[in-house]
Amino acid sequence: MLHKKTLLITLLPLSLFAITDTQIEIKELQQNILELQKEVKTLKKVNKIQADKAQDNFDELYDYTENVETRVLADKLQFGLALKFGSDFIEKTYQNTNTVKNNNILSTKFMLKLKADITKTLKFYGRLSMYKYWGNSIPHQYSYYDNMQGRVPSDSGLYVERAYVDWFFLKQTSLPMALTIGRQPSSDGPSHQFKDNVSRKATYSALLYDGVADGVVLTLNLSKLFNYDGTYFRFGYSRGFGYVNTNQYSQNPYIGAPNTDIQNTDVYGIFLDSKLPNIENSLIQLSASRMSNVIANPLDSNYDNNTNLGDMDLLGAMVEITNFQNKHIDMFAHYGYNITHPNTKSYTLPNGVDSGLLGDSKNSLSGYAYWLGGRYGFGDNAKYKIGAEYNHGSKNWVSLTQGSYDVYNKLASRGDAFEVYGMYVVNKYLNFRLGYLNINYDYDRSGWLLSKPTPIVEVPSDIPNEQSPISRLHSIYLKMNLAY
Amino acid sequence: MKFYKYLIVFVIPITLFSYTLSGKALADKLGLNASSKAMIQWERVFKNERKIKRYKIDILSANEQRALKDYLINHAIDSDYPTVAGE
Repeated sequence: MLHKKTLLITLLPLSLFAITDTQIEIKELQQNILELQKEVKTLKKVNKIQADKAQDNFDELYDYTENVETRVLADKLQFGLALKFGSDFIEKTYQNTNTVKNNNILSTKFMLKLKADITKTLKFYGRLSMYKYWGNSIPHQYSYYDNMQGRVPSDSGLYVERAYVDWFFLKQTSLPMALTIGRQPSSDGPSHQFKDNVSRKATYSALLYDGVADGVVLTLNLSKLFNYDGTYFRFGYSRGFGYVNTNQYSQNPYIGAPNTDIQNTDVYGIFLDSKLPNIENSLIQLSASRMSNVIANPLDSNYDNNTNLGDMDLLGAMVEITNFQNKHIDMFAHYGYNITHPNTKSYTLPNGVDSGLLGDSKNSLSGYAYWLGGRYGFGDNAKYKIGAEYNHGSKNWVSLTQGSYDVYNKLASRGDAFEVYGMYVVNKYLNFRLGYLNINYDYDRSGWLLSKPTPIVEVPSDIPNEQSPISRLHSIYLKMNLAY
Repeated sequence: MKFYKYLIVFVIPITLFSYTLSGKALADKLGLNASSKAMIQWERVFKNERKIKRYKIDILSANEQRALKDYLINHAIDSDYPTVAGE
């Protein structure tokens, strides 16, 4: 009993002290909690103010971004420009041995490029061009020829060189396709891009086709199907000559022939693009096309004389490698073959001679040509480049390169053409090229489908320059090329 | 006939001693759209390690990265892009 009392007396005060300490601690904790609550409230207020400020900033930034987005969306057309300048020093030697020098022929070609990404599967491309000699007031007599509009030096008028849409469909399948409708990318094609130091500018080999063409192309992308990147098969159609009859009494032109005597000239072609095995940046192209119902003279509206002369087939093969193994080496080889199928009709030339296709209205005639070349870049970022090209055309070689930017249309030469050049690349947009071109013609009327090619050596040498064919042409030129 | 001989002599050695690369195929593989950026923006991407990782370009070999860079810059929205029907 005593023991219990003693224990009580001892513990009770201790317990009382302990209770008092606990209460103090609780009070302190409560005080801390109150202070923390106050701090949290304050922080919440500060946070809210900051969040409001951030939201205001975000809204402001959003409005700004949306303005930029609106401008981007409203910019339906993207513009690009290209400018070519040329100074040519030409020496022509006629068969009559007379030599004529045309020094410092200055020319400018301006191109306004248009592009619109309408949707992910619909894209538009356009190109407006002006090409003229400096100080020249006389338009080129063929500048209105459809194939050459904007392609030959004439007046300062802008021509629509290209205007087409690419519509891509079946993109997710193993055989994606595209339909290209309009004025086609058919000029300045491979391998002219090396001389201009630009990217590939057209679908077809420039040895066979170089000019303006209205048409439709169906492209089958075979890359997925054959698991071989860069493989395309194309069916192409274009209208080479569209018959327009002008009523001689009312002068109101209308389209379509009043009878079946005159047919439109249509061009149908198939083209296979692919790459060399294991070579990046290479292109192989095989092609076959038929020009049906070739019109004798697209610019002659006298249909008592003008007529369709038959068909011509054009076959081609090319291979091209760009920047081989990153060594700044580019090279290419093209081959072309043509064969005529005359329909016995003929056209009376201004000199009174009747002519069928290549001068023969009854028999098929064939010709060929090839074009080889290479380019090498050196110095920092390949700022300096040197290149050489050679092409040869046989007696009956004819192609569709009337719209070549090169005023000599050297790839149509019936003979040999050799060209060397050096280039200085100022930057990725601008370059200058100094070159020398030499053409030895073996036959006259290079590039003409009418009249029989005559060996230059058989042409009489006692005729005036105006009637004498050129046997040899030299040109030293300086070109500037800007693409932006 | 002579021409075909030249063509064979020209093509076969090149084919045998070269390597395989495709900038377009690499871009497709990585889901990169060349025309989504301007040339200078693609150049910036290839100068920035963080962006190289972000676009998973770092998984490619040096040669593949070079081929991809060439393709993206040559097909950038402000580039002198190739113009070929249906491509």
